[in-house]
Amino acid sequence: MRVEVDLNKCTGHGICESIADDVFEVQGDGTVHIHEDERPESDRERMQQAVTQCPTAALRLVD
Amino acid sequence: MTVASSPQEREYSPFDLTSSGFWSQPFASRDETFAQLRAHEGLSWHRPMPSMFELEEDGFWALTRRADIAFASQHQELFTSARGVALDPMPAEVQQIATFFLMMDPPQHTVYRRLISSAFTPKNVRRIEDQIRKNAVAVVDDLVGAGEVDFVAACSARLPMMTITEMLGVPPSDREAVALAAEKLFSMSDDEYSTLEERAQNTINEMILLSNTGIELAKFRRRNPGDDLMTSIVHAEVDGHSLTDEEVGAFLILLSSAGNDTTKQTTSHTMMALVDNPAQRDWLMDDFEGRIAGAVEEFVRWSSPVMQFARFATADTAIAGQQIKAGDKLGLFYCSANRDESVFDAPQKFDLARAPNPHLGFGGGGAHFCLGNQLAKAELRNLFRELLTRLTRVEFGEPDLLYSSFVHGIKRLPAYIQ
Repeated sequence: MRVEVDLNKCTGHGICESIADDVFEVQGDGTVHIHEDERPESDRERMQQAVTQCPTAALRLVD
Repeated sequence: MTVASSPQEREYSPFDLTSSGFWSQPFASRDETFAQLRAHEGLSWHRPMPSMFELEEDGFWALTRRADIAFASQHQELFTSARGVALDPMPAEVQQIATFFLMMDPPQHTVYRRLISSAFTPKNVRRIEDQIRKNAVAVVDDLVGAGEVDFVAACSARLPMMTITEMLGVPPSDREAVALAAEKLFSMSDDEYSTLEERAQNTINEMILLSNTGIELAKFRRRNPGDDLMTSIVHAEVDGHSLTDEEVGAFLILLSSAGNDTTKQTTSHTMMALVDNPAQRDWLMDDFEGRIAGAVEEFVRWSSPVMQFARFATADTAIAGQQIKAGDKLGLFYCSANRDESVFDAPQKFDLARAPNPHLGFGGGGAHFCLGNQLAKAELRNLFRELLTRLTRVEFGEPDLLYSSFVHGIKRLPAYIQ
């Protein structure tokens, strides 16, 4: 699956980064950069947590 | 209770959330009222909070359920922060001095938020975590064998102020004045800190002191860049925007209060809860490193340091089937959300193993979700590691509670510490 961010909604809280700092990294401009957006099925739980806990609902999973 | 659709038909709820009598009660007693409201259909309409300013309002809707507060928080197009976020009637111009981008909506809010959010990310908090740990060690160094102390002054108040002032590069000679001003700003409700007549003027005075400190610091860092948050703030640029000195001053007010008082209160409430629940403490210590992350969430849910913020409806809309008119004020009671029995099993229980723990101690989500949440959690982890491993005896007397409808606070906590 793929994890995507809507940069218009992202305000760089970094909750996603605290869940999976190998995937999400908040940049100097205050938005998140996603490393390796194609995720293995084994990572679904972490990715779903990131999506659910994003305070601005900026993340989504695309199967 | 009628579900009214226009101001003329609105009846005030029989449940009082307005009077000093209500807010003088302890947290648990107040939650008995919130529990009644959570169980009621729709929302309840309440008399306006008492105001120290000459401002007339009709009243406010009380949001007491987690789901409703999350909804309002995440729909800023319907529930704006720009008209004010204080539940107490207060002129918007006065609020703006102390709240800075708390009182903005996206897209304006987004610009300011991004200018500083990189300083508060998990990665950046990790960079300074070593310093946080050192400061936590120093705080507890002073507590070991201390005997009779006020836990608030001797412990809770110290680490947040050390952390924020070091992050900002506030000169050591200014730090105590900043701490005192921040404390007075957030304790304005309590008679001990100022009489009714003095309060409005004092609020403004404290804000001016903090703002001026911020402005002087900003000017200094423009000329003499250092390796601190203030330097990166004054030099940051997003979409061609950078902060003016006045905006930096406003930011310092916000950080001195939001970044300071909240974590201090959580520390006091948590330590009391750990002393009252030794089985919970023992469970945590059985595997501190593995359990502290989840435990810290429960520290925040339990403490609920910020009890509410307000919003104004921008359009005729509805929440939980309740019709709301454009211009209506809403109170988002995070303290009630954090005891929502439809969300939390045994919400009155201090349960460090609670998982999931979808509390609203950092807000209901949306763009205004607490910027400092990672920093606060890092401070709590490091402080409680030192407190729980190095102190052999902690006993508390009766806490002296802060009178406030905003901050769930403890002014003094007599303690005996070894």
